[in-house]
Amino acid sequence: MKKLFKTAALLGCTVSGLALSAGWASAGEVTWWTPNFNEARARELVEKFQAANPDITINLEITTTDGLPQRILTALQSGAAPDVIDVQHGWVNGYAQNNLVVPLDEVLTDREDYIPAALDYVTWEDQLWGIPYRIETHAIIYNKGDLVAAGLDPENPPQTWEEFVAAAQAMTKDGKSGFAITGGGEVGNTIFRSLPFMWMAGGGIISEDGTEVLVNSPESVRAVTYYTDFLKNGISPSSTLENDGTANRRLFIAETVSMYQSGQFDVNSIRQENPNIDIGVMAIPHPEGADTAAILGGWSLVVPTDAKNPEEAKTFIAFLGEADSQAVLTDTFPARVSAMEAERFQDPILQVFKEMLPFGRPVPAHPRWVQISQAYFDGIQRILLGDEDVQTAMDGAADEIEALL
Amino acid sequence: MHRQSTGYLFVLPALLVLGLLIAYPVAYTGLLSVTDNQGNYVGVENFARILGARATPTAFVNTLWWVFGSIVFQVILGVLAAILLNQNFRGRAIVRSVTLIPWVVPGIVAATTWAWMLHTEFGIINYMLTAPGIVPEPVGWLTNGSTVLPVMIAINIWKMFPFVAIMVLAGLQSIPNDLYEAARIDGASFWEEVWYVMLPQVRPVIIAVTLLLVIWALNHITIIYAITRGGPANRTLITPIQIFRTAFESVQFNQAAALSVMFFAVAIVVVFVYIRTLASNAGEAR
Amino acid sequence: MSTVVSAPAQLKRTGLPMPLIIIGSLLLVFVCLFPFWWMGLSSIKTLRELYTIPPIWWPTMPTLDNYQKVLFESNIPRYFLNSVVVSVGSTVLALILAIFASYGFARFNFRGKPILQSFVLVGQLLPTAAIIVPLFITLRVLGLVNTYWGLILVYMILTLPLSVWMLTSYFKAIPVELEEAAIIDGASRIGVLFRITLPLSVPGLVSVLVYAFVTTWNEFIFALCFATDSSVKTLPIGLAEFSTEFNTDWGAVMAASMVMTLPIAILFLSMQRLFVGGMTAGATKG
Repeated sequence: MKKLFKTAALLGCTVSGLALSAGWASAGEVTWWTPNFNEARARELVEKFQAANPDITINLEITTTDGLPQRILTALQSGAAPDVIDVQHGWVNGYAQNNLVVPLDEVLTDREDYIPAALDYVTWEDQLWGIPYRIETHAIIYNKGDLVAAGLDPENPPQTWEEFVAAAQAMTKDGKSGFAITGGGEVGNTIFRSLPFMWMAGGGIISEDGTEVLVNSPESVRAVTYYTDFLKNGISPSSTLENDGTANRRLFIAETVSMYQSGQFDVNSIRQENPNIDIGVMAIPHPEGADTAAILGGWSLVVPTDAKNPEEAKTFIAFLGEADSQAVLTDTFPARVSAMEAERFQDPILQVFKEMLPFGRPVPAHPRWVQISQAYFDGIQRILLGDEDVQTAMDGAADEIEALL
Repeated sequence: MHRQSTGYLFVLPALLVLGLLIAYPVAYTGLLSVTDNQGNYVGVENFARILGARATPTAFVNTLWWVFGSIVFQVILGVLAAILLNQNFRGRAIVRSVTLIPWVVPGIVAATTWAWMLHTEFGIINYMLTAPGIVPEPVGWLTNGSTVLPVMIAINIWKMFPFVAIMVLAGLQSIPNDLYEAARIDGASFWEEVWYVMLPQVRPVIIAVTLLLVIWALNHITIIYAITRGGPANRTLITPIQIFRTAFESVQFNQAAALSVMFFAVAIVVVFVYIRTLASNAGEAR
Repeated sequence: MSTVVSAPAQLKRTGLPMPLIIIGSLLLVFVCLFPFWWMGLSSIKTLRELYTIPPIWWPTMPTLDNYQKVLFESNIPRYFLNSVVVSVGSTVLALILAIFASYGFARFNFRGKPILQSFVLVGQLLPTAAIIVPLFITLRVLGLVNTYWGLILVYMILTLPLSVWMLTSYFKAIPVELEEAAIIDGASRIGVLFRITLPLSVPGLVSVLVYAFVTTWNEFIFALCFATDSSVKTLPIGLAEFSTEFNTDWGAVMAASMVMTLPIAILFLSMQRLFVGGMTAGATKG
């Protein structure tokens, strides 16, 4: 009997699936793709929205983070897109340049309440192509016990590049690595962790207006040397070239790495998997006399060009853009200053992450940014492999990037 | 010998289904390769751009290594395993099923499991080697420029040789008994039987399997993509991964299409030549 | 291979010597099973024991929590059902189409045969990255996005070429004289195919069937893009759902992989008899 019901329900779903895909979505329906880690919070907001707007129906479709960019691009390219999609800030520019999403300037109210860097991210040719709702930056997560064992004060962590290297060096003993950098996994892992050092030193991969290659400038080379020397000098584990952010967290949890860069999302995993570690958080170290820096990451909402009900979608996005909604939906921090007041952002361990936010910058908006960062990342890997020295590798990357500008 | 039209009738349904699915993608890819992202005609610009990329020649060379390395060992190990599994011994049913496992495990899971088994620090393989002192210190299987591609090939061999074994075993199972008997009357040893009876009889199967292996090696990107994404420093970048990354990471669908067209053209020539020389020879005998 | 021939083993009954069989089997089982066994161990470890340095062999507190989570607290059972429907559907469809097409290719000579034979493979030669968007559009035009039929149809690209190719070679290996005798006796072509050729190619049919089933069972990227509704999502998508932005519930992934892998291994085990059968009798039965 149960089986019969299931089969019937199944048939029903198939038919409704058919109806949707054939483009018969009735007016007032908004399909929203949100990733699985947002599901519970998204449902809460949908309920609230529906109560206030009974004439608009929100269909929530849960996406998986694995293969998400491919799936979104397939939908956008083929013209069968949902009405609202959660995407990472960095993806928005590519969509805008390829005409896959619509401008959203009219939806944004309280422009001044948003962290400017977040808006910069989703702006292209002076128009706004996404509404940022979540932002985060990295800081350095460290094991207080290891700092004590190295004879340092865990409440006064190192601040400058030199102090930091000295501390990391002191913690590298008994099979432990003082500080883990990344050199593997997806490109973004290493961009997020190394580009801030270049910024602090006054360099970068390309200039902000995207006209000039900076990757082999003396400032950039100094920063890349600083970054890659952690492996060369044996401070970063020998598996560096195969490690991404997740791998570094696991090494930290296994207590073989004392410090690594990451966002606040790692704190819960560490607490859960190894409660023995006393976690500390410090700002990313800066050169003497310069400010720290970090890449601003996070998620925005976009409306595809092929959305069936763009007007309703915009109404819904406007609701999600309200400070109260942002405070609920974000997994890390909200993109609006006023939303930061909420109770859940007051945990003391978040303090340093919060302090890092004003130093967060967007990555340069260039049509070929992904290829540019890939060229740079290949250069980093050549250095880490020992194939080339820093200057040669960055000169090589500069040649490739020059061709892309 | 037979009426031609009957032959067409037999093959028509399958060709129709495939045609329905393939016609549009082929046309679409062709069109994308000569236009820009606004749909304007740009001639060979996409081709020139992607050919000028530093990664393209590297990827091409890696692809050759990847395809040849994988296939040679997949076929040899697969045929050896098939001959073993064709023997009469207790427990062969179990051994046969176990042989199937690498191929049955989802590709993404196999890739990730291997990646963690091979990890310099967490990896059980390095632990097995260092604990009894076989090697003095952990090997960076995936971080050493000279080991990473061979390791990828080895994983691919592990994943696909069971397929060869099963297909060849099926061929061995359908060899008529009188062929063996004839050989035995002539006093043939086991290895002579393998060489003069088994291998010639399963030749069509091996030829067909090899062709399929080439095609899959050219198109299966899960293992490399999941473990290294083509890195470090493009050491494991093969052309299909480059296409995938150009399209879905760089959002350069037009350049990806241009590379696809070239890749497709080369692949189809290879396949056609292969079929003309090897496969049809085998067929003419009938 | 030639070195193998130059070392003839003198045996009264032909067959591999027993020690070789034992060593070969053990080696085969070890190589195939080790990563899978590691997977199984990971699925019963607690989160804390999953990643330790050095790795631990046997969990101190084996747990079934991961299975509990996969079987009762996730969508996996539903996806399991979907996977069964899609895999069975596409396997059956591919097999029916392939039997006719292969028979046509194996037994008839007609104009353009090599071209048509290579055309069968075309879909597999196109890089996934190139065909995925146009295929999606095709499915949308047909109104088949988010339906079982959509996935079943798309999987023809993956399963049909192989099925046609393999079956063609198995059919070719069957002596044509058997069929000619029947035709002289007045049997129709279709009658000959079903009453003589197919029963003789059971091992081939089974291996093709297993192939088609396994491929569709594990396919990820098409399922990800063409089945977005949980009423049609398949198991590999279920695996991906255990990963969030910065974390993967690895124990659950391993448990789900076991749930995914075991049915196929058991399916194959239960088909052993068919596989060994075949009316011309196996090589080792003499």
